Amino acid sequence: MLPDEIIAQLISEYQCRDQQIHNLAALYSSHLPSPPCLDVYGLTATGKSSILASFFQLSSISHTIINVRECITARHLLERIVAASVDALEEFHDEKLDRRSYARTENLSALCVHLGNLLEGRGKFVLVLDAVDKLREGGGTLIAALARLGETVPNLSLILSTTLPLTPSTLHSSSISFLHFPSYTRSQLLAILGANPPKIFLTPPSLETFPDYTPDLAAEDDAWLWNRFLTTVYDSLSKHTGRDLISFRSCAMKLWRPFVEPVVSGQFGTRDFSRLMVNRRHLFQLEDSVLDRILDPNTASTSSQTATSTASGLPEPATPSKQRQAKMTVHDLPYYTTHLLIAAYLASYNPSRTDVTYFMKHTDKRKNKRRAPSAASFSMSSKRTGSKVRKISRHLLTPSPFPLDRLFAIFRALLVDSVPQVADLYTQIATLTSMRLLVRAGGAGSNDALEMGGKWRVNFGWEYARALGRSVNLEVGEYLVGGVD
Amino acid sequence: MEHQRCYIYELPKTEERSPKRQRTNRYNAQAQLPERLQTYRELWAQQEERIQEQDTLEKADSAVQGKIVNFISASSSMPDERKSVIPTGLIVAGPSIASHGPFFERLGRSIKEDAGSAYVVLTSGECPNLKTLLKNLIKKATSRVDDDDEDDLDRPATSSKHGPKLLNYDLGHIQEWNKRNRVSSIVVALQDSEAFDAGLLVDMIDLFHSWLDRLPFVLLFGIATSAESFEDRLSGNSLRYLEGEKFDVTQSDDIIEKLFSATVASTHVRLRIGPNISRRMLDRQKDHVQNTQDFCDGLKYAYMSHFYASYPSLFLKEDIAFKDLSPDAFEAVRNLPSFRQWVEKKLEQGQAQEVRSLLNSNEYMFEQVMLHIKSSQQALSTLSHAAQVLSNTREALQMSPKVRLSSIWTRAASGELSNSPLLRETMLCIKKIPSDKLVLLLAAMQQLEGDYFSMDISLLQKEIDKLLQTNDTNAPLRTQHDVRNDNLRTTVVAQKVLLSKHKAALSEQDKAYSDLVGRFYDKLEAYFDSAFIDPRTLFLSEVLVYDLKSPHTEVFQPKPRFAIERALASPHDYLGCDCCTGVDGNEAALSATQPATAIVYQMYLESGTLINVSDLWSAFNAIAGDGDEENESKTMAIFQRALAELKYLGLVKPSRKKTDHITKIMWKGL
Ligand SMILES: Nc1ncnc2c1ncn2[C@@H]1O[C@H](COP(=O)(O)OP(=O)(O)OP(=O)(O)O)[C@@H](O)[C@H]1O
Ligand SMILES: [Mg+2]
Repeated sequence: MLPDEIIAQLISEYQCRDQQIHNLAALYSSHLPSPPCLDVYGLTATGKSSILASFFQLSSISHTIINVRECITARHLLERIVAASVDALEEFHDEKLDRRSYARTENLSALCVHLGNLLEGRGKFVLVLDAVDKLREGGGTLIAALARLGETVPNLSLILSTTLPLTPSTLHSSSISFLHFPSYTRSQLLAILGANPPKIFLTPPSLETFPDYTPDLAAEDDAWLWNRFLTTVYDSLSKHTGRDLISFRSCAMKLWRPFVEPVVSGQFGTRDFSRLMVNRRHLFQLEDSVLDRILDPNTASTSSQTATSTASGLPEPATPSKQRQAKMTVHDLPYYTTHLLIAAYLASYNPSRTDVTYFMKHTDKRKNKRRAPSAASFSMSSKRTGSKVRKISRHLLTPSPFPLDRLFAIFRALLVDSVPQVADLYTQIATLTSMRLLVRAGGAGSNDALEMGGKWRVNFGWEYARALGRSVNLEVGEYLVGGVD
Repeated sequence: MEHQRCYIYELPKTEERSPKRQRTNRYNAQAQLPERLQTYRELWAQQEERIQEQDTLEKADSAVQGKIVNFISASSSMPDERKSVIPTGLIVAGPSIASHGPFFERLGRSIKEDAGSAYVVLTSGECPNLKTLLKNLIKKATSRVDDDDEDDLDRPATSSKHGPKLLNYDLGHIQEWNKRNRVSSIVVALQDSEAFDAGLLVDMIDLFHSWLDRLPFVLLFGIATSAESFEDRLSGNSLRYLEGEKFDVTQSDDIIEKLFSATVASTHVRLRIGPNISRRMLDRQKDHVQNTQDFCDGLKYAYMSHFYASYPSLFLKEDIAFKDLSPDAFEAVRNLPSFRQWVEKKLEQGQAQEVRSLLNSNEYMFEQVMLHIKSSQQALSTLSHAAQVLSNTREALQMSPKVRLSSIWTRAASGELSNSPLLRETMLCIKKIPSDKLVLLLAAMQQLEGDYFSMDISLLQKEIDKLLQTNDTNAPLRTQHDVRNDNLRTTVVAQKVLLSKHKAALSEQDKAYSDLVGRFYDKLEAYFDSAFIDPRTLFLSEVLVYDLKSPHTEVFQPKPRFAIERALASPHDYLGCDCCTGVDGNEAALSATQPATAIVYQMYLESGTLINVSDLWSAFNAIAGDGDEENESKTMAIFQRALAELKYLGLVKPSRKKTDHITKIMWKGL
C-alpha cells in the first residue's frame, strides 16, 4: 500500500490522530532511515497500541509487536523478543531460518548477539515493545539497555510505548525520539464516540405498522439522539469521573439502554430529547454507571430498587453506597464463628484498657453498655487541653492488632453461656483467616501461625460487623468505645 | 534411620499380661472382633451407599452446577467479535470451606462433560505468585509433565535442537495445546479466592485479559463471604475486565438435613445413632463448623465405636446362627440394662418360668433376641417414620416456627415427643383445619403411607371430595373447633358487659366435615401415641442404638488447651499419685512433689502481665528448695528448665518493657 493510502485509511479509522499518524508514516517508511529508538507515550486509551498495530500491519515493513504486559519476567521478555523476531523474519522473507542457534536467550548480551545475527544482511526491522513500562520486573536498567539496542544492532529500530515519557535519567542517554499521543479533549471524545452510534431499536419496528420508518431514517435518529446523549453523559458524569475514552465509552454504553427505554416502549418519540432527559434524569444522578462491577447492577438490583422505591413511596435516588450498605448481606456463619468475628472487631477497635469497663461481668448488665461519651465530657477535655480537638470516629480508623487471647476473652464475655475450650475454636480462627476476615498483623514470624504472641487484625468494616451482630441479636455498637452514630 | 520422616513406635509384645489386666480378663472384650468388623463393614457400606446413591451432595448442588455450566457454554458460544471482557462466575459457596474442594471437583466433572471446556482448579496454597500460578495452570490444563521448577532447567535440555522454546510459565503453551484440542473455553476456577493475594488476582486478570483474543478464558471465583466484599478487593481496572453472574450454592445446613434424613431418620437403617450423639453432631454443625463431610465422618466413627466396643452388637449381623455365637455373647446380653428392665417387667407380670429359661437357656435366649431385634427395629423405624410424618404435617400446615426434621427426630428418639407442646400444638392445628388445607395435608401424607404408616388416606380423600362437591359456596368447609365458627355475643346484664361465645349453628356440610376431621384426628393421634415411644425402654436398645458420648467428643471435639492447662494447674488429675494430692487434703496447695513446671505455672497464674523472674525464683525456691545453700544450684537448674518449658509452650515471652521480667501471654480458661 502506498504511504498516502495508509495515512488516509488510518485517519478515517482513528479520528483526531492525524498528526501522530503523519509522524509515524514519515518516520517509518520502507526506504528512508528510521530512528533507532522512539518512545511513543500518552495516557491510557489514547490509541497508542491500536494505531501502532494498524499502522505496521498496513505498511510493508518487517516488524514484530510484543505486548510486554504478557511477559512475566525479564527473561520471558527477552525470549519472546527473539522468538517473535524469528517468526516475523521467517514470514516476511518467506524462508526457513536455523532456529537452533536461537534456543536460549538468558540475558541482554545474548539478546544483542541473537538480534545481531538475525538481522545481519537484512533490511530494516521494527521491534515494537508495547507498554514497556508495565514490565513486572527488571526495573529501569533493562529499559535503558533495551533503548540502546538500536545502537548495537544497526538495522533495528525500536519503538517503546509508555504511559509517561521516558526520562533521560532512566534511559541514561538523551538520544531518543519521542512521539506524544495527547489525551483527547471533550470535543475529540465526543467526535470519536459519536462516529458509530448504537441502535435505539434492537429489533427494528415492523415495516407494516411503520412503513415510512426506513433503516436510513433510523440510523439518522440513532446518530442524533446518541450525540446529544453523549454530551449529557460527558458533562454530568464522565467529566468528573473518568475522562479517558474507555471509561467514557463504558459509562455511555451502560446508560444507553435504560436511557432509550421509554423511546423503545413508545412513550416518547425519537426526537423528544428534552422530555426524555427529564424522564430519565435519575440515570445521571446515580453513580452506578461509572462504577465498575462484575455483576450487572441492572439485572441484580432492579428488583430490589423498585421494591424499596415503592415501599418508601418516593423514588428518591439512593446513592449506591447507601444501597450497598442495605444490601450488605452477611452469610450465615455458625453461631460461635459469628461471635468470634464480633469479638475480633471489638478487639481491633476498642483500646484494651477499656475492656474492663465493657466486658467485666457486672451484676447490673446495663452498666457494661456505655454509650458514647456525652457532649459534656468532650467539652471538658477540650477545655483542659485548651485547643479544640477534632476526633475521628473510631470505626473509620484502621483496625489495630490484638493478641489472640484478648479475642477469646472478649468472645467469652459476649456469650452468656460458657463455651468449652474445644479445638473447634482454633479451627474457626484458621478458617476465618483463610477467608481473609481475620488477618495476621505484620511483624516477625507473622507467617507462622504457631508463633507465640502473634497479633491479628480484622479485615472488615463496621457495616459488616453490625450486620453480624444483628444476625445473633447483639448490638455491636453498644460495646464499641465512643459509640457509632 | 535418618532418611525416614516419621517412625511407628510399636510396643514390645510381652507374653504375659500385666497383673492388673489379668484380674479382669475373664470376659474378653475382643471376642469375635473380626465378625463384628465384618458386620460393621456391611452396615456402613449400606449407609455409604445411601449417602452416595441418594447422591445427596450432588443432587443438592446439581441445580447450581447446571446454571454454571449453562453460563459457561453461553459465554463460550458468544459471537467471536473480540470479547472485551472475561466471563466471570462468582460462586458464593458459603463459609464451609472444607466442602469447597469437593464442590469444585464435582463442578469440574460436569463442566468437562457438558460444556466441552477445559477446567482447571487453582487453590491459594499452590499459587504464591504469578509465575507459580501460571506454571500450575499450564501443567494442569495441558497435563504436561514437568519435572523441575528450577529456573535454569525451565525447559528440557534437548531444546537446543529445536530452537526457541516457551518458558514454562508462558501461556503460549496453552495456546499451542488449544490449537490441537480446540476447546470451547478454558475455565479457570480459583477455589478459595479470598485467600489469594489481591495483587496477584489483579495481575492474573490483567494477563488473562490481554490473552483473551487468543485464549477463551472463563473465570470462576469460589467465594466464602459475599460477592460484594470480593468485588471490593479488586481494583477498578480489573473489575472492568470482568463481567458475569453470581451463583449461590446450596448451604450446607440444608445438605446436612438431607443427609440426616437419609442416614439416621430413615426407616431402613439397622443401626442408629442416639439422640445425644445426634444432638451433639447437629449442634457442632450449627455452632462451629459447617461441613458435610464432618457429619459423615462422625456417623462413621459412631458405627465403628459401636461394633468395636460392644460385644452384643454382633447380633446385628444378618442371619446370624446360634452356632456362631459363644456363650459369652448371651452373658453380655444378660448384663444389658434393657434386659434387666425387660426381665423385671416380666417378673411383675408373673412370668417367672420364662425368665428362668431366659437366664438358663442360651437357645431360648437366642430366639428371643432374634425376635426382639426385629420388633425393636420395627418400633424404631415407626418412630422415625412418625417423625417424618410430623415434620411433613407441620410443613403442609405451614406452621411456624419451622422445626427441622433433624430436631424433631432427635426429640422423638429421646422420648420427649409424646405429649410435648410441639406435638400438641400440631394436633390442635389439625383439629381446626379448614377443608382446603386438609386436602393439601392429605396429599402430603399419602406419599408417606406405607408399612410404617397406614391410615387409609385415600378413603378420607374420597370422602372429602364428596363433601366438597356438595359444597356450593366458595369458602372452605370448617370444623366446629374453628374460631371463625364462634360468635361473640355481648349482653348487658346488671350493667356488666358479658362476653359469651356461642357456637354458630353449623351447616349440615360443616357437621359432616367436623365429623370427618374428628375421625382423622383420632386416628392420627393414636398413630403418634403408638409411634413416639421412648426407645430406651426397648429391649436391646443398646444394640440397636449407639448413644455413647465418650469417645465421640474426645475424637471430634478435643480440648488441647484445656488439657495442657489442667495438666499444669492440677497435675494430680493426670498423675494420680499419692504424693501430689496436696497438703492436708487441700488439692490446690502447691507442694514440692509436683513437677517443677506445674509449680511455676501455678505461680504464673497468680501473677499479673509482667512477671519478675527473680521474685518467681524466690517463690519457687521456697517451695521446691530444701533450704540448703548447696542444693540451690540444682533447684535453680530445675527452675530454669521449668521456665524454658513454659516458654516452649508459648505461655511466656521475654519482655522488652522491663529488665528481668517476662510477659504473660496466655490466660487460663480461654
Ligand atoms: N482516535 C480513536 N478513534 C477510534 N478509536 C480509538 C481512538 N483512540 C483510541 N481508540 C480506541 O480506544 C481503545 C484503547 O486504545 P489503545 O489500547 O490503543 O490505547 P493505549 O494508548 O494503548 O492505552 P494503554 O496505554 O492503556 O495501553 C481501543 O479500543 C481503540 O480502538
Ligand atoms: Mg496499549
